Amino acid sequence: MEILSSLADGFAIAATPTNLLFAVFGCFLGTIIGALPGIGPVNGVAILIPIAFALKLDPTTILILLSCIYYGCTYGGRIASIMLNIPGDASSIMATLDGHPMAKAGKASEALAISAVASFIGSSVATLGLTLFAPFLAKAAIYFGPSDYFALYVLAFAMISGLGGANPWKMLLAGFIGLMLSSVGLDPGTGMARYTGGSFNLYDGFDPIVAIVGLFAISEVLLYLETATHASGSLVPMGKAIPRFREMLPGLGASFRGSLVGFVSGILPGAGASQGAYMAYVIERRFSNKNNTFGKGDPRGLAAPEAGDNAAAGGALIPMLTLGIPGSGTTAVMLAMLVSLNIQPGPLLFERQPQMVWGLIASLYIANIVLLVMNIPLVGLFTRMLTMPQWILMPFIIIVSFLGVYSISHSTFDLMVMIGFGVLGYIFRKLDISLIPLVLGMLLGADMENNLRRALSISNGDFAILVQSPIAATLYSLTALILLGAFALALLKSRRERLDTTEVED
Amino acid sequence: MGDRILGLIIFGLAIWYGWTAGSYEASFGDPLGPAAFPQMLSVPAALLSLFLIVRPDPDPSWPEHRRLLSQAATIAVLVAYAFFLEDLGFVLATTVAVIALSRLLGAGWLKSATSGVLMAVGLFVLFDTLLGLPLPLQPSFMG
Amino acid sequence: MMTKLTRLLTGVATAAMILAGAGGASAAECIAPADPGGGWDFTCRTVGRLLYDLKIAEEPVQVTNMPGGVGAVAYANVMSKRPSDADLIVATSTVGVTQIAQGKYPADTDVMRWIGMLGTDVGVIVVPKDSPYKSLSDLMDAYKKDPASVVAAGSSGAGGWDHIRLLMVAKAAGMEADAFKQIRWVQFDGGSPAVTQMIGGQVQVVTTDLGEVAGFVESGDIRILGTLSDEPVPAFPDAPTAKSQGFDVTGYNWRGFYTGGEVSDADYQKWVDTMKKLYDSPEWKKAAEGSGLVPIWRGGAEFETYVGEQAEQMRQISKDIGVM
Repeated sequence: MEILSSLADGFAIAATPTNLLFAVFGCFLGTIIGALPGIGPVNGVAILIPIAFALKLDPTTILILLSCIYYGCTYGGRIASIMLNIPGDASSIMATLDGHPMAKAGKASEALAISAVASFIGSSVATLGLTLFAPFLAKAAIYFGPSDYFALYVLAFAMISGLGGANPWKMLLAGFIGLMLSSVGLDPGTGMARYTGGSFNLYDGFDPIVAIVGLFAISEVLLYLETATHASGSLVPMGKAIPRFREMLPGLGASFRGSLVGFVSGILPGAGASQGAYMAYVIERRFSNKNNTFGKGDPRGLAAPEAGDNAAAGGALIPMLTLGIPGSGTTAVMLAMLVSLNIQPGPLLFERQPQMVWGLIASLYIANIVLLVMNIPLVGLFTRMLTMPQWILMPFIIIVSFLGVYSISHSTFDLMVMIGFGVLGYIFRKLDISLIPLVLGMLLGADMENNLRRALSISNGDFAILVQSPIAATLYSLTALILLGAFALALLKSRRERLDTTEVED
Repeated sequence: MGDRILGLIIFGLAIWYGWTAGSYEASFGDPLGPAAFPQMLSVPAALLSLFLIVRPDPDPSWPEHRRLLSQAATIAVLVAYAFFLEDLGFVLATTVAVIALSRLLGAGWLKSATSGVLMAVGLFVLFDTLLGLPLPLQPSFMG
Repeated sequence: MMTKLTRLLTGVATAAMILAGAGGASAAECIAPADPGGGWDFTCRTVGRLLYDLKIAEEPVQVTNMPGGVGAVAYANVMSKRPSDADLIVATSTVGVTQIAQGKYPADTDVMRWIGMLGTDVGVIVVPKDSPYKSLSDLMDAYKKDPASVVAAGSSGAGGWDHIRLLMVAKAAGMEADAFKQIRWVQFDGGSPAVTQMIGGQVQVVTTDLGEVAGFVESGDIRILGTLSDEPVPAFPDAPTAKSQGFDVTGYNWRGFYTGGEVSDADYQKWVDTMKKLYDSPEWKKAAEGSGLVPIWRGGAEFETYVGEQAEQMRQISKDIGVM
């Protein structure tokens, strides 16, 4: 009850007319920034922190403005994912799987609306979870040791085949290539340079954002060049400007399921929002893909990861606020933002500055409401914007991608890497190899290796440590079950197909 | 055929990757060291690429020569753009790049030029002036 | 057609240059050699903001992120492209000097001009509240008996600054360099994750900067065995220094700036004066303390000597303990 009144206080602080005005401004600005490929929420917020300070606003307003920019950016990233098949950042890659096929089928406005509603549901569930369980979950991260994290990443990696896709072997291979790419750069354990060819430019390895922009945006343009008959045509059909409510219904159940999955994965630092979205998609697909509609524009395949993403972002606030551990790049920026407002996250934050904590939670929630209210009417505008002729849109995408990368790193080398990934992405897509496991591998690889090596440092090289903790053992059993299940299913399917063909022959 | 070629390339890279990892020896550090994880990855990656060679999918339709040429030209424009961005300054480099890309996409000279100039100036104002992300403005020989 | 086009192009381009040139040109620029959100980024942005707010700088300071190689990419860039750019400063810290000392940057400290440090984080050795080790001597006795018996962690890799600081204490305690390799060291992505894992019982001792983990000390979850500073830290006056326990070791992580090696003496001095003025302001003291730093000033020639000595010392330690 005490918590409920704290939350109410938070809303009372946050919901003044000035603050709401800045909320709308922040959400709009964030949506635009997020829709530009290459500048995800991480950089979006970091860039705007000094601007927010320059305006000399009071801390609560700054908090609301930045939270709104943050959520606006994640939402903007989905717009590009759905409309152009170009994710703006790591957490919106899952939206390309079913969101873009929907847009191609003329259901862009429905897809955008589903994304907004699912995000809203995701953060509502997360806010509820935070309100009810935050003190109880505050120290959940303490019980997760390196061997448990390693088991978690193994589980996540084993679920790659659950993404769908024509050829599971190719999915797995792409995943391994992603893991391999992640080991390029300075080894964090010993500081040794691996696969850098002696160049300082590769010391930090491949930036996932640079890879994502190259893989998706540049390859999209190359693919377009070979299918285009005339350049004035637009990429996706207009469809309806205003989404129909009835068509959004199938996504509701998926949104709630995705929210739960996302929230749980958000609580564990290191799992992060992109994993929340990924897990939510894979589990939803296993649960509801009865007629093989996933990957072809199933609303549930869009709603689940969208809800999961936002719920995970909410859940990730718990380790960030109570332990000061940023679970993802975005929470790292939130952390920097709080520190610059003189709020030091840590075990005493909830006791000492409850008004700031609940103010933050309230402002994130307000950001969601504003985005929902603002974006449904704007859906028509976004769909129209993207129907401009290709000879404007394609160069625009390319230049913005270049700028997004260059303005953050100031590195010509990164631009070349991006072009390289573009060519790689084109070849992979031509050969029907999904890019998503590749990106997931790149995102998971470093954490996977580091936690494996941490565990073995602790045990002084004894591999038994990997299965000794009950959490790790449970996760491995789960992994084994999933793999066996997938194998049995595949066997069953091929037998049924064989039966079908024999029947035809008879 | 595409699968087989890619499979071969990945197979070769996986072997090279695992082989190179062997040279990463730290005199100091954790029991597993920097070599073990890459070596663990190279084995399944090599096996999976063999699968690609043995059981390839049917080939996709590769683009005809003319389109292949425009793809290659696009890549060339992008590389040149990245390479000259700092030397030529953002506005000039972008204008030229956008004109070239629009031409490749089949737009006329006037359309291409207009969109090039507008995009270069508009994006410069958006990124440098409004968002405060510094971009090189003038050609370096003028600065 | 083409002439019309060219004229149009030149016209718009000139307009754009005038438009933007009015603002930019001579404004100061601070390179944060890391991604947005990290410590160096914070240094650049906080200092940049205060310089403008306090009217020490006439124009807003432009912050540019140039991540890569723990600062090596920015170092190489300034060295080769902008050695005489008087408007440019780059944020760095002890971590950067450690990298230089171990030969992980393209050149030594003498290719840059070191402006000054504005504050420092203090290294601490911490244990969980119920740890059997009550003092640094307890810990060192355990290490001397069996170097592999206690698992230590920090935010740097083996051979990084957190690791070196622990080994410096071990060396002061009289441990042989041969035994250093047996000390188990676990790297985490920051002080908070390391401490969290320590509270969870995965590791027994953590060496890192105090700023990031101060909250855990205040909440009583962890104890400071020793601070690696000359004097006790103001925020925790009861925490004993390593020196007071007979281990003559200090381990600061200062935050400061360098500029290109060919910047003129006058311009260099101007930067030193600017930073000193900032350091003397109450606003900086407040910002520094807010992020867990102890404001300490070293500037100009004194700082250059300090950095050179620190690099030399670091090189010696790295050799002694076998990371080089």
